Amino acid sequence: MTSFLRRRFPLVLAALFIAIVVFLFVITAQGQATPSHAEGVSDYPQAPDWDKAAALNQAASIHGEAVNPFALPVPPTQDPCLHCHILGENTNLWMPLSRWLLFGSAALVFGFGIYRSTSVFNTRKKWKPLVARTVEWVDERYEISEPLSKILNKPVPRFATRWWYCLGGITAFLFVIQGITGIMLAFYYKPTPEAAYASIQFIETEVRFGSAVRMIHHWAANFMVIMCIAHMLRVFIMGAFKPPRELNWVSGVILLSVTLAFGFTGYLLPWDQRAFWATTVGSEIAGSIPVIGNLALVFLRVGWDITALTLSRFYSLHIIVLPLITVAFMGAHFLMVRRQGIKEPL
Amino acid sequence: MAETTQPAPEKDTIPFYPDHVSTEARVVLYMLIGAVVLGVIGLLLPVGLGTPADPMDTPAHVKPEWYFLALYQVLKYVPKTFGASLFPLAIILLAVWPFFDRKPDTQRSQKMRAIASAVVMIVLIALTVWGEVS
Repeated sequence: MTSFLRRRFPLVLAALFIAIVVFLFVITAQGQATPSHAEGVSDYPQAPDWDKAAALNQAASIHGEAVNPFALPVPPTQDPCLHCHILGENTNLWMPLSRWLLFGSAALVFGFGIYRSTSVFNTRKKWKPLVARTVEWVDERYEISEPLSKILNKPVPRFATRWWYCLGGITAFLFVIQGITGIMLAFYYKPTPEAAYASIQFIETEVRFGSAVRMIHHWAANFMVIMCIAHMLRVFIMGAFKPPRELNWVSGVILLSVTLAFGFTGYLLPWDQRAFWATTVGSEIAGSIPVIGNLALVFLRVGWDITALTLSRFYSLHIIVLPLITVAFMGAHFLMVRRQGIKEPL
Repeated sequence: MAETTQPAPEKDTIPFYPDHVSTEARVVLYMLIGAVVLGVIGLLLPVGLGTPADPMDTPAHVKPEWYFLALYQVLKYVPKTFGASLFPLAIILLAVWPFFDRKPDTQRSQKMRAIASAVVMIVLIALTVWGEVS
């Protein structure tokens, strides 16, 4: 015990400091007239009636009763309690949030300073930044730094920094944007004919930044198709599909058709006239392909007509099946590029 | 033969990290800025919705998405079965292309491919524009 106190005496100092603060708080708060709570109304703690509390305090002092001399009169305009936020009386979230951020980070810095000063007394080792320690900790266990550095130190040919080699990467990043904004939209979207249209209206008008997210999802989808085609033209014209890179090209063609399928399935989801009839026309075209036409039509529409089942099928294709296919083929695409290197221009 | 050739000079490559990664990060940054700009435009002018879907009421002009417009335009003038099989045929043709075009590349063949793809793109764009205005 004594050795602990000796080794960690800044911690003891801090504990003492906190004890003094708590003690001061307790003695100053003791004599204050407690506002009465409404009983039996709710399970949640009720917001105290501060006007009543101030009146009680004042009355007590007039009648010469023992009143804590340190207790301050309660300003009625002051934000009285945290419960009010929970009860929904205060709708402004930013005030408590910024307060928590400010004082919380100050407390973290303060606590970290105390912890660090104890370590100076505790050990003679040189101080290492937390990041370096974390990296060391992980690397001790999983030994990833060597293969990782091999990956990171791989030289990239200088010709590959021209802008037209960026098109594929732009497409990939657009897919990431689509994933993020798509998840945001899926939080509010309801894939049924009764609710789909209204839920999109809700996203556009009620959800904070909902219309911004939908705009990004809408336009990034179109840019993704354009970038796919541009990337493909670049690869085609420069002959990067030639042996030994055939499979990479095939996976790229699959990714292009998956992107088009994304567009086709996503177009129905708003469930307005344009979406409905575009899907009608699109699935009709698919239905007139020889041999597999009827099969494709029934697979797409889940029957012969566009119904609620079509909508949920398109939705699940759009948010589950196609993303999984894309991630798989994109991973293969990248690994093959990485393995074979970028084709040198003539 | 390959052993006797000189290795590539030092200045012909850059390290993947941090040089190439930082270039890519810059592209990503520009795209994020673009996304934010799009978002701001979306706050002011939302994408919007048409009238709710009504299976009983066929609108006068039914159009698919823009990337299917070229196909849709072709379908108006050729037999339906033939036109509909164009799209899967084109995809299959693209997929099997590298298994037939196997000769080592030359300047001339690159130029030929550039001209061919330019012609195809111009035709597709023209069909799309035609489909859009018609």
